[in-house]
Amino acid sequence: MSAQLLFAALVAGSLYALVALGLNLVYGTLRLLNIAHGDLVMIGAYVSFWMLSLFGLPPVLSIFVAAALCGGFGWVIYVGMFRKLLATPALAQRLEANSLILFYGVSVILQNCVALAFTSTARGYQYLNEVHKFAGIAASGNRLMLFGVALALCLGMLLFLRFHLFGWSLRAVIERRDAAAVVGVDVDRVQMVTICIGFAIAGVAGVLVSMTEQITPFMGFPFTIAAFVVIVLGGLGNIFAGIVAGFALGFIETFGVALTSATYRSILIYGLFVGVLLLRPQGLFGKAIKIR
Amino acid sequence: MRLLTKLKSLVAAAAVVAASVAQAEEPVRIGYSMSLTGLFAQAAPSQVNAFELWKDKVNAAGGLDVAGTKRPVEFVTYDDQSNPANAVRIYEKLIAEDKVDLLAAPWSTPIHLALAPILSRHKFPMVGNTAASVQLREIAPGYIWFPTAVIPDRVGEELAAFMKSKDIKSAAILSNVLPLSQEIKSFLVPALEKHGISISVNENYPPDIKDMTTLLTQVNETAPDAVIVLSYPADSFLFAAQAKELGIKAPFVLSLIGATFGSYQQALGESVNNMVTVGHWSPNQADWPKAKPFFEAYKAKYNEAPDALDSVLAYMSLEILEQAVAKAGLDKEKIREAVSTMTFDTINGPVKFEGVQNSVTPTSFLQIQDGSLELVWPDSVKTKDFRPKTGW
Amino acid sequence: MKTLSIDLVAGIVLLAAALVLPLTGMDYLVGIAFNLAMWVALTQSWSILSAMTGYVSLGHVVFCGIGAYMVALTTGSLPLAASLGFAGLAAGVSALVIGLPVLRVRGPYFVILTFGLAELVKNVIVQIETGLGQFSRLIFDAPPLNSLYLVMLGLAVAVTVAAVFVRHSKLGRGLIAIRENEEAAEAIGVPVIRLKLIAFVAAAIIPGIVGGVMLLRTSYFEAAQAFDPVISFSIVTMAIVGGSGSARGPILGAFAFVLLSELLWARFPQLYMIILGILLILFILFVPRGLSGLLDRKEARQ
Repeated sequence: MSAQLLFAALVAGSLYALVALGLNLVYGTLRLLNIAHGDLVMIGAYVSFWMLSLFGLPPVLSIFVAAALCGGFGWVIYVGMFRKLLATPALAQRLEANSLILFYGVSVILQNCVALAFTSTARGYQYLNEVHKFAGIAASGNRLMLFGVALALCLGMLLFLRFHLFGWSLRAVIERRDAAAVVGVDVDRVQMVTICIGFAIAGVAGVLVSMTEQITPFMGFPFTIAAFVVIVLGGLGNIFAGIVAGFALGFIETFGVALTSATYRSILIYGLFVGVLLLRPQGLFGKAIKIR
Repeated sequence: MRLLTKLKSLVAAAAVVAASVAQAEEPVRIGYSMSLTGLFAQAAPSQVNAFELWKDKVNAAGGLDVAGTKRPVEFVTYDDQSNPANAVRIYEKLIAEDKVDLLAAPWSTPIHLALAPILSRHKFPMVGNTAASVQLREIAPGYIWFPTAVIPDRVGEELAAFMKSKDIKSAAILSNVLPLSQEIKSFLVPALEKHGISISVNENYPPDIKDMTTLLTQVNETAPDAVIVLSYPADSFLFAAQAKELGIKAPFVLSLIGATFGSYQQALGESVNNMVTVGHWSPNQADWPKAKPFFEAYKAKYNEAPDALDSVLAYMSLEILEQAVAKAGLDKEKIREAVSTMTFDTINGPVKFEGVQNSVTPTSFLQIQDGSLELVWPDSVKTKDFRPKTGW
Repeated sequence: MKTLSIDLVAGIVLLAAALVLPLTGMDYLVGIAFNLAMWVALTQSWSILSAMTGYVSLGHVVFCGIGAYMVALTTGSLPLAASLGFAGLAAGVSALVIGLPVLRVRGPYFVILTFGLAELVKNVIVQIETGLGQFSRLIFDAPPLNSLYLVMLGLAVAVTVAAVFVRHSKLGRGLIAIRENEEAAEAIGVPVIRLKLIAFVAAAIIPGIVGGVMLLRTSYFEAAQAFDPVISFSIVTMAIVGGSGSARGPILGAFAFVLLSELLWARFPQLYMIILGILLILFILFVPRGLSGLLDRKEARQ
């Protein structure tokens, strides 16, 4: 096993874990399957591109801008839409049952608004692309930064959930929403903050990928797919397992390809996805949960 | 006072408008469909921009010469959502409902192929542009022509000859599974064998690949003289970034689609200097006097360089139509006759069709040299000598 | 009963108009009608499974893709009718094979599973084509639009009749019982597994043939196009906008979709997509029974 492959798996895994983390938080607390999640990644990428092109702001600072913008978007749609909807049981039920389709609508709107505003021409910029060599690994600066930031955010989130009072309420809402309300958790506030955090994380992921990929209004969908594969592997709503699953996917992809051939990459990933859904819908690491 | 000035200018403007209305001929309406949304949306601007630039130029010169009469040009455009079935419907609409005078081409091979029967049925000629496949030749010649020189069998053949001339002994081939890449590979592999160039790695990968570490490690282990990456835009970016990271050392590196995009050099900068790609146009070819002015005009209008494949082919297709119409007028059969027989003077030099294909423009290769795209093969059109890739 | 007869009259008028259309010789209108019939056939077939049982499939395009691939493989060596029949058969058989394991999965898991399955099949077919050294397939001598249109219209009518029939049959009642409460249905002796499987297979055959006809229309097969996930999403959108409480819902949905796209999409493509997104959201939240439900209310008031 070469160190280089290990590094590739870690980078891929950390990105998968980060993108999936936001999706999983939103699903866990609001029971909404946000298929527009990848489009928030796209918005983060555009934020980074424009901040650098217009104001010379480096991506390492754009992270905060993208987080604020995407988090703010989450706040707007929660306060403007979901709060009222979730308060009415009939609407809440409809929302949950059709969340995937509803967010497909959101996704279409976001992609086309961006295409309308910035055209669909591919964009790109150079940042930290010098290559560092250490311990038998060659790594470009931007990929190291991607790995560092993604890992820090994932670990930070885990610590937050474990040790912060608000993190406890968040976990309580994910695990037992009704019971959490009974013991005095402010469910509304938890949901609002979670959607902001979830969206903000997607925005940050966007900044990170924009350093290494071309930026277009339609770049988001593959990230949505990857995030879905990850949270299915980990079990929907299971935050810790989701992060583990993100790294696991990075390893499975990298070493799966190394052992077979790159040509089987997509079959491997979708095969894994379908296989897990068929055989262990609660996730590879999850305990059986009731499916509604 | 200010009111008076305003009034004056208003009257003056009205007079100008009235005068131009009195003079104006009925505009020539040119219809086309473009993939503005959907799978291929990314490719649309480079082509639409070229069309618009052509329209501006023609209208600024007093209009399109229709067998001696100058008439202004306007476009009738629709979005086909990257879906061939929609494009078919749109061209039916353009022909039957909108009754446009002329047609311009959409983007992508599948859509061109899907349109061929419609054009034959309505006996409506259209000069194609970006389509590239040997299957184009299976279309009965008649109402569609392809000015491109990127036809897979010739690309395979020429690339092998090019590599041979640069003393390449071994090559690694990494190929996307999408049609154009696979088609080129199917001709490249036997051509390389014919020229005695050994193939050290021959791997395929899917379009949504996110990491090439394994592939590039394999390449590095065999240390070939050339790395041929038959890539689409997203993986062209990925390959270049990771090739730099992993220090690919081959002096001859080719990336298929994407390397001509403005964003490619923006994102990858110095590291893709001396990268070879497929294309048959460079602004620096002095034998084509229209090439440089086109490049300058495009850059002035859109603040970016034209794509050396899509923008150029789109613009050429309209130049060909323009020259055919100048001779034949708007009669469809006469246009067909003209396109089939004339030799055209385009930004890409002379073009003449034999059957559906451009028989003049040679299949060529470009190299990124210090930020500009230079033709490096074949010798008949080259603008600069090939330079080996020395680093990233 | 009254609504049924109104629907019947409207249906017959519509069908008569649809049959006369090719005589006008207006290719463009026939092209629109072809698309309309295609969406009706797809959405109606989707609703047999998804609307009735509540198993929302986001991978319906998989059957179109399989059908298209079968036609691409067999055209030239088989007569066209046989080729299309084979497409339907292949889609049906695939549904039968994957049905048992897939239909055990429920709720949001089923939705994403169907999506993943369609992508998996797409990638497998890409791999097979690459292995065969085949990059894309061009179909020669496809029948003219008018014939394809009549076939598509026939499919739309057939699946609509089937949908009406299913809704008023024992099978339909069983499927609705599954949607309301699968455990309870099972407890009172509804053969849950068998009914779901029948609906799944029935819902797969028509899109298989539709996929074949779509291929003949564009005369070019490439897996990424034939399995375009946007088709699956569009089907669900139409079902939601039209309403899936009755067989006329998918027809209304397809009409609304095609009409809107004729008005807007060609000229203002991005705006069209944005409006489509907004409409989708509004209908999910505020018009859960779709256009068909709105009509019901109006009829009830009169």
